[in-house]
Amino acid sequence: MGERMLTPDVLVIGGGATGAGLLRDLARRGLRCLLVDRSDFGTGTSGRYHGLLHSGGRYVSKDPSAARECIVENQVLRRIAAGCIEDTGGIFVATPDDPDDYVDAFPGACAAAGIDCDEIPVTETLRREPALSPAIRRAFRVPDAALEPWQLIEANLADARAHGADAWPYQRVVAIQRDGRRISGVTVRDERSGASTRVVPRMIASAAGAWAGQVAALAGVELMMSPGKGTMIVYNQRMTDTVVNRCHPPGDGDIMVPVHTVAILGTTEELVEDPDDDETSSDEVQALINEGEALFPALRRMRVLRAYTGVRPLYRDPAVQGPEASDDGRAISRSHIILDHEARDGVEGLISIVGGKLTTYRLMAEQAANAVCAKLGMSEPCTTAGEPLPGMGDSRAHWLGHRLAEHEDRGGGDADLICECEMVTRAMLERFLDRRGPCSIDDIRRGTRLGMGPCQGGFCTFRAAAIMAERAPDGHTDRAAPGGSASDPEGALSTFLNERSKGTRAVAWGRQLQELWMVTGIYVGVMGLEGSSSEHGGEATEDHGAVS
Amino acid sequence: MPSADAVVVGAGLAGLSATLALAEAGARVHLLAKGHASTHWASGGLDVAALPRAVTVREAVARLADDARHPYAILSDALPPALEWIRGMLQHEGLPYVGTIDGPVVPVPTSIGATRPAAILPAAQAAALRPWEPGERLVVCGPGGFKDYWPHAIARGLRRAGAWWGSAGPERVDPLVVELPGVRDRLNLDAIELARLFEEPGWRWDAFAAIRRALIIGGLDGPGRMALPAVLGLDDHAAVLAEATSELPLEPFEVPLMPPSVPGLRLYRALRAAIVRAGGRVQIGQAVVRIGVRDGRVVEVAMEAAARQFVVRTDMLIMATGGIAGGGLVGHPDGTLREPLLDLPVEAPPAMSWLAREPLAAGGHPLEAAGIRSDAELRPVDASGRPAGPAGVRICGSLLAGQRYLRERCGDGVAVASGWLAAGAHRPSAPRRDAPQSLAGEVAG
Repeated sequence: MGERMLTPDVLVIGGGATGAGLLRDLARRGLRCLLVDRSDFGTGTSGRYHGLLHSGGRYVSKDPSAARECIVENQVLRRIAAGCIEDTGGIFVATPDDPDDYVDAFPGACAAAGIDCDEIPVTETLRREPALSPAIRRAFRVPDAALEPWQLIEANLADARAHGADAWPYQRVVAIQRDGRRISGVTVRDERSGASTRVVPRMIASAAGAWAGQVAALAGVELMMSPGKGTMIVYNQRMTDTVVNRCHPPGDGDIMVPVHTVAILGTTEELVEDPDDDETSSDEVQALINEGEALFPALRRMRVLRAYTGVRPLYRDPAVQGPEASDDGRAISRSHIILDHEARDGVEGLISIVGGKLTTYRLMAEQAANAVCAKLGMSEPCTTAGEPLPGMGDSRAHWLGHRLAEHEDRGGGDADLICECEMVTRAMLERFLDRRGPCSIDDIRRGTRLGMGPCQGGFCTFRAAAIMAERAPDGHTDRAAPGGSASDPEGALSTFLNERSKGTRAVAWGRQLQELWMVTGIYVGVMGLEGSSSEHGGEATEDHGAVS
Repeated sequence: MPSADAVVVGAGLAGLSATLALAEAGARVHLLAKGHASTHWASGGLDVAALPRAVTVREAVARLADDARHPYAILSDALPPALEWIRGMLQHEGLPYVGTIDGPVVPVPTSIGATRPAAILPAAQAAALRPWEPGERLVVCGPGGFKDYWPHAIARGLRRAGAWWGSAGPERVDPLVVELPGVRDRLNLDAIELARLFEEPGWRWDAFAAIRRALIIGGLDGPGRMALPAVLGLDDHAAVLAEATSELPLEPFEVPLMPPSVPGLRLYRALRAAIVRAGGRVQIGQAVVRIGVRDGRVVEVAMEAAARQFVVRTDMLIMATGGIAGGGLVGHPDGTLREPLLDLPVEAPPAMSWLAREPLAAGGHPLEAAGIRSDAELRPVDASGRPAGPAGVRICGSLLAGQRYLRERCGDGVAVASGWLAAGAHRPSAPRRDAPQSLAGEVAG
């Protein structure tokens, strides 16, 4: 009764970069496709990485084929997705503690993988990046860059939509039905309204990454993922304008990526059972900073805005023995693999794409799309490497001041600037809301970067909530996104602030603790935002507190 | 080297109160602070105490004072005369406050469309305190192009069930956005800029006329009040408020905004003016970096200055350096909370339980109650109640342990009462009782 039914050619599960890229690829080959994600797009691994477009330099010694894939895709993305890339360049620096043999072999290994790599004098390196440790011994320049994931995902989805595909956020796959060996349908539940939809695709492509095991289980397929949890911390400033890597075998705290107005130090590595384990401990943060000090000695005096974790979609082939089978996450390949569950498990109509990294999302999508097309007996070629993503045809890379320049070109006044840290204008916000319809402030954050700068939403969040409320007609109760809605700006604010505070827990000291106290003071003390303000003086009539 | 009868460190409400009380009593007093304090982002009201199911401020204070570890256990006797005193001072400076500790705590609108409990407010916010009569309307009115006051969102919030805690609110709430001359195109428009505009008589005449017109066009007449952003002048506030009240058909009241807080600035400026008038000195902009101690007593206070230290000789130090927000307590990555000037013993929960999972959950963060414990005369003591730190030190304001000022809304009351009391204990005429003596029994009650 009332259950919708859809019959696309392909159902893509997972709205990260790989899923979005896959949707684009399939749609361009003429297939009718639907993508669903249990949450907003880019809330899983893609939105929780350090922001690096790899040159491949990081993998040259341990995994040369991954390094080669990186540099090829790096060049492709510079052509098709220039607007999401800040061409910061990257350097690998050798500290006194880094092994000579690794450092000596580095330029040769880069050359072998096809990565441009020049040694630059230490004095020049320090002149360009004066916050770097003066103790560094050598420095090599590579074509690393910073890559903005949400914009990339949105652009892929936009192109897919232009080719007839559809993509739905907040739609969770709750059941996969089988008719013997063959998958016969999928039940998808709307996380906001609870309504369910039955989807009967010819093929399912699971791009659920670290959650691929959970999706496969719904189809009765055993797929053991080894989610690799990585913690990163965000600084309130760009102490470097270049991506800085440590020239040693990959370890904790050895990369700093300038991302828009902030910089991100990564990463730890820990295998976890549950891909939803996103707890960040202050021990992990301290360990990261301890290591990071080898690159930037003043790190401990700089302000940390927040810490967050991402989960790498690592997959261990059960057939593989040796170091790959160990508990050391760094020993597991970063390469991707496409699992044909018909050949592997005897279940028809399902493939999974696992492993991999954001830099190679397009290649992963291409290979997964090839697999899907082969199953469907099609031979259309992939066109995603040649055609720029929508709105990125002019091939101009993003640069730090571009939003300010655009704002000034338009002669825009201060009143239009809703988020001063990230230069989000009212027009940008309204365009996003036009496109997305009812959504949460967290969705707006990913869509526009509102609240991602040094004040972490302290001064702009309530403006966004107010604009959402202004747009919603009076007396209208909309279908709420999880995390508040236009008809309840106060609830939306509570949810957003609770969420942001979670990221502060592991970095609550010094200036950042002070900032947390001030922002809480403003919202609770001056603005009266409380879990239940109705408690005062009378009975509680409504719970407008956080959505859990 | 300059010398003073007392040095007060910190320019929040506690430090200003202590300095003013000392200056008034004829002491040579020097206030030193690294910068402005919470006055610049607070509401400008006097939050003395508000608790669920406590009808009046006095009732809430009594309940808090029942807890021997709360600052009000020490301060509740000093509180009424201290409040009386500071309100007299503010009145004298042209910034009268309305409401009493025996009046009811009522919901007043905020600029996110919620309400906060209040009882004692500056005159410009006073109309929000009066009970709403049947048939009264509220018009939420703000200038177009100002991004810190959104009438539609505020009105929507105030119409929500529960916004007025189940008590009678206005019969209806309507938003009204008014285009004021030249506002929309300004390149930099914050609350202070708007307050300055309102100080120009010609501009505000036009502004009030525009609001009147918009009310008529919108059919928003009849009995009621209007909620305006808190920008009705800064230095010339009294004149702007008087004119707003006489020129607008609905009784206006100000709603505090995101920082910078104009009502808070008025409060700060009024107290500073009173201090200077009474002969006190105020020096803000550099951090106090060292407290000189000799033979167990404070002897001098050193402040950073260009290329050297500025040192004031004194044997009385009033620390009003604030809690975590103000920097009087500093959290460290190793999970300790420390008092940076004298390394006084800090009472704090273990690092693992500093923060609640949700900052807006009732009760707030466990760390909010952290601070320095004191005896009944505001001398710092350690966990066992023994004197801590050098002699000659008093602590006040949000540095005091045992309060959750955001949830109990007691920050301003604790600040004024402790500042006043600390100053009283230091008045030259008052008997000096600085010899170490344990008052632990008294404190623990």
